[in-house]
Amino acid sequence: MSPYNLLPRFKAQYDANSQEFSISGVVRPQAIDELGPSLALLREAIGRVRGVLYVNVRRLAQMNNAAFYAFSRIIIDACRARPDLKFVVVTSSVVGWTSRKFGRLTRLEPNITVEEYDSEFYPGQGFLEEGGFVPILRTQTKMTWRHEREILPRHGMRPGIVMADICCGIGDFAVLVQKEFQPSRIVALDHSISSLNYARQVMREFDIRGIEYTYGDASEMLLDEAQFDLVTCRHSLQIFNRPELILKELYRICKPGGRIYITNEKNSHCLGEPRAESIRWTYNEVAKLFAHFEMDVELGPKSRRYLIEAGLEDIRIETFMVTNLDGDPQDFADVIVAWSDVYAGEMAAKRGDGPEFVARFRQGFQDHIFAALHPKGYAGWPIWVASGRRPQ
Amino acid sequence: MRSVHHDTAGQPTFEPMIQIDMEIKTFVSAWKHCDYVSTYMARMISQNRSDSVRHLNLFSSAFNELLEVAFRTRHADGELACRVSRHGATDRIELTFPCVPEERQFYEKAVSQVAGSEARERYLNSVSGDLAPSREVVLLELAVDYNATLRVEEAEGDAIKLVVDLPLEGLQH
Repeated sequence: MSPYNLLPRFKAQYDANSQEFSISGVVRPQAIDELGPSLALLREAIGRVRGVLYVNVRRLAQMNNAAFYAFSRIIIDACRARPDLKFVVVTSSVVGWTSRKFGRLTRLEPNITVEEYDSEFYPGQGFLEEGGFVPILRTQTKMTWRHEREILPRHGMRPGIVMADICCGIGDFAVLVQKEFQPSRIVALDHSISSLNYARQVMREFDIRGIEYTYGDASEMLLDEAQFDLVTCRHSLQIFNRPELILKELYRICKPGGRIYITNEKNSHCLGEPRAESIRWTYNEVAKLFAHFEMDVELGPKSRRYLIEAGLEDIRIETFMVTNLDGDPQDFADVIVAWSDVYAGEMAAKRGDGPEFVARFRQGFQDHIFAALHPKGYAGWPIWVASGRRPQ
Repeated sequence: MRSVHHDTAGQPTFEPMIQIDMEIKTFVSAWKHCDYVSTYMARMISQNRSDSVRHLNLFSSAFNELLEVAFRTRHADGELACRVSRHGATDRIELTFPCVPEERQFYEKAVSQVAGSEARERYLNSVSGDLAPSREVVLLELAVDYNATLRVEEAEGDAIKLVVDLPLEGLQH
C-alpha cells in the first residue's frame, strides 16, 4: 500500500444540536465540483440555523485556496442575504495558517468572527506554566523519576521504541527517558509555548538528540494515527476538564498493540506525620479548589475506569509514594512551598477565598513542610500509574 | 550557535536539502501529485526543525499552492524541477516549470507587485471578488501569511523559475 493512502482525507459534518458545521482533514480539490456534498451540507446548515452558525476548522490540517474560496463564498453570500445570522469560525492556534487565512473573512463581513478556540485553554495551564514554576516542575520530575524509571518497563517502555510524550511540559521527562531507555524516537508535545521554549533550550545546551518538541493541543493533535509504541501522558488528564478527549487522541496515535501510560494524583491522599490532621484538611481542600476550576486532582484511582472506557485492554495499575525520604527532604519541602504559593495564592484569590480560609489552607502546607523536614517526620505524595494496550 | 556561510558576493549560502524532477506531462497527469509532492517534501525537510509537525504543516500548505500554480501551466512539454535548500531559519523553494511567454510576463508582473504597499489590502479583499483564486492571490498569500519573499529567475528554454524564501521557523503562532 502506498504511504500516501494513509493520508487523512476530509470530512464535513453538521451538528444541529450545537449549530456547528465542521470540516476536518486535508481538503485539496482540483475543482469545486469535488466539494459538492460538503458545500451542499454547509448551505443546508445555513438554511436551518438561527442566530449563529459555528464553522469549526480546528481539525483542518490543510485546505487549498480553491476549497477556501468555495466555502468562503457561501458564507459571505449568506451574510449578505441574511444579516440576522452570525458566523463564528473556530480555528486552532496549533494549525498555524488557519487563523490568518480565515481571519480575512472578518475584514469583509462584520457578521463573521474568528476565534482561536485554544487561545485561553487548559484551565490549569495559566497557573502553572509561568517561568517561576519551572524549577519546581523539574524537582517534581526528579522525585517521581526515581520511581518511574523502575516502573516504566512494566508498562511497555523498552529501548528502540517510538514513543510520544503528550503534555510534555518542560520536557525533562522526555530527556530522562531518552538517556535511560534510548527509544529510537520521541515526539514530545505540549500546548505551552514557554514550556517548549525552555525544553528546546535545554536540548540545545545539553546537545540532546532524538526528541522532537512540538506545539500541539492534546485533545486535537495533528500527529498521524497509529504511529507510537508507547504514548505517555503524565499528570495532565487531571488538569483537563474533559480527560476523555485526550484519551481518545492518545488511543488514536498509539499503534495497535502499543500501550498508553498515564500518571495522575489523588491529592486528598497526600499525608504527613506529625500534624496529620491539618495536612489532611488542606489537601482535601486542594481537591475542592481544583474542582472549582474544572480539574480533577483526585483522578489517580479513576485511571482504570478511564482506560477501560477508552477501549484499552490489559490494564495495569500501580501506585508509588514520593516521600521526604527520597533523596533530599528539602526537595520535597520546596515542592510544597511552590504548591502553597500557587494554590493558596493565585488560585484561592481567583476563587474569592477569604483571609481566614487562606490562613488555615496555608497552615496545612506549612505542616506538610514541617513533617518533611522533621528528623523523625514522614511526608508523602502519592501517584497513580496506569497503562493499557490498544487492541490489535 | 549556527555558523553562517556566505558566498563571494556576500549572499548567504543555501544548502541543498532535496530535489524532485518530473516530466511536466507526468506531473499534470494527476492533480494529486501536488498533494503528494508537497507533503513528501515537507516531511523530508521538516525532520530537523525545532517543531517538525508545525513546520511540515506550514511548509506543505505553502508549497502545495505553488505546485497547484505550476499544475495549471499552459505549456505541455519540459520538466518540473522542485528544489528546496536551507539557510538558517529560511527554507528556499526553487520551482522551475515550463510556461508560455504570456504566463512568464504575468508571473514577472505579479511577483513585482507582491512587495508593494497595496499588496496586503489586495490580498485581504481577494475573497470578495473572484469566484476562484487567481494565481496572483496565491503569490500574495505567501508574502502576507507566510512572510515569504519571492522573485523570478532566468530559466533555460520555455521555462520560469520561481524562487520563494519561507522563514517558517520565525513565523509566530
